[in-house]
Amino acid sequence: MMVTATEICVLTAALLACLIVGSLHLKVNLWLYALSTLFIALATAAAALEHSETGLIVIAILIALLKSIAIPKFFSWAIDKLHVYRDLGAIIAPPLAMHAAILLFALSFILTKEIPSPAGPGYGWFGAAGGISLVFTGLLLMLTRRLAISQIFGFLVIENGIYVFALTQTKGMPLMVEMGILLDVLVGVMVSGLLLFKIQKSFEHIDVGQLTQLKEP
Amino acid sequence: MTALLHWLTFLLSIIFIPVLTLGTIRKTKARLQNRIGPPICQPIYDLVKLARKGETISSTMSGLFRLSSLFVFADILVLAWLTPWLCFKPWAPHSNIFMVVYLFAFARMFTLLGSLDSGSAFGAFSASREATLSLLVEPAVLLALVALGIFFGSSDLRVIFSHTTNQTFIGSAIWIAAGLAIFFSSLVELSRMPVDDPTTHLELTMIHEAMILEASGRNLALIEFAHALKMSIFFGLASQCFLRAFPQFSTFNVYSQSGLNIVGILGLALFVGLLESLIVKLQWRKVPEFIAYILSLSLIASLAAIGAGVIK
Repeated sequence: MMVTATEICVLTAALLACLIVGSLHLKVNLWLYALSTLFIALATAAAALEHSETGLIVIAILIALLKSIAIPKFFSWAIDKLHVYRDLGAIIAPPLAMHAAILLFALSFILTKEIPSPAGPGYGWFGAAGGISLVFTGLLLMLTRRLAISQIFGFLVIENGIYVFALTQTKGMPLMVEMGILLDVLVGVMVSGLLLFKIQKSFEHIDVGQLTQLKEP
Repeated sequence: MTALLHWLTFLLSIIFIPVLTLGTIRKTKARLQNRIGPPICQPIYDLVKLARKGETISSTMSGLFRLSSLFVFADILVLAWLTPWLCFKPWAPHSNIFMVVYLFAFARMFTLLGSLDSGSAFGAFSASREATLSLLVEPAVLLALVALGIFFGSSDLRVIFSHTTNQTFIGSAIWIAAGLAIFFSSLVELSRMPVDDPTTHLELTMIHEAMILEASGRNLALIEFAHALKMSIFFGLASQCFLRAFPQFSTFNVYSQSGLNIVGILGLALFVGLLESLIVKLQWRKVPEFIAYILSLSLIASLAAIGAGVIK
């Protein structure tokens, strides 16, 4: 069975995302997220060469610039501003959560085996597995972490997963659609960043575990 | 005649490779600290010096203390004979994965007994730490080897390490993941840098060094040599994993394979030297996290091996 360069990049990105779950240090999480996203940009570039689509090259460059440089830079600035460097602790111990993420990574291979691909049977299986695994990892990150900033990381990882799924199942989305999504992600990140500062200002912490009742401080 | 030659080269490599590995690590560290450092074969002079020295034994010890180092030495020698850490080997019987892993555990048990028998506070202290570490790292080593076993359909390490990948991406991925897991768990097993500083002067932070604090003379020489041999066995296994990840490796003849293997061991030693000069020791409570990452590498390898079996 042949594995294409796109699929190798996607699987590497999914594994790097699994490692995010294993550490509570926010800066380490950011670095791993940036690396994982860089691999997704590489996967996009490889897909562009495979299908000879010039539009995908533009998207790959945009992803590398926006999602793996600009967004991590913004969050690292936000972390410095908020003075929160470590997550307060997860509901499942981080090492165990990482092992769970790897088991889910394996599970996603079973889940995606039967997905019919438009390009023929057996095509894009590994890519789909990588995408679903990224979604699982993001969900695990959102479910187990307590800080609002980690929830945003989880959301970003899920977004990566959906993008990867679309990339590997089709021959790339149209350029306009992808640029719209990227803009949405950027706006979402900015808004959530602002919200972080607001939450910090009103409650003096960003622990979502304590945000169950809303009341005037 | 060839069998005799095999035995001779094997004996020579058992004596010299551990010394060279240890010497390389020390030399690398010295060069990175702007010192000239001892010559690479300094460990062998140290061993000879230790073997000629007299021995001091505390009056509270039973005979177990001296016996334990002998047991450890004999056990590691048997392991060096059984495990395929070198490409060329004299004849040896079936070397089962589980037997190899638990022979390592057997050696550790005797080290622990010896350190408890010495009666010093530091001995018991470090014995407890070593037991904790070995408990944590055992699944990682076992899973990495079992992953290779599943992929090649055999529980015999010799059969596994005479295969190469069947030219597939997944085979190379499993070899590399298992090799990384074995290499990093060897750092824990041998109590080297991210877990324990082997050159520390403070008994409170020692793990392996505090266990052998009471040993002296010939006893210490045996323990030191067994430790170095264990290190080269682990590095040999890891370097073979990395080399066999390349499909071309099986096409070489035995001489270039063994040459590459030894270069691989020394390369890993060089890397350990670099690692020890550049990073700091982990906090004791961070060590389980480090081991969790190793375990996840072996988990990836074993899940990939199971997956490859299903696809076939």
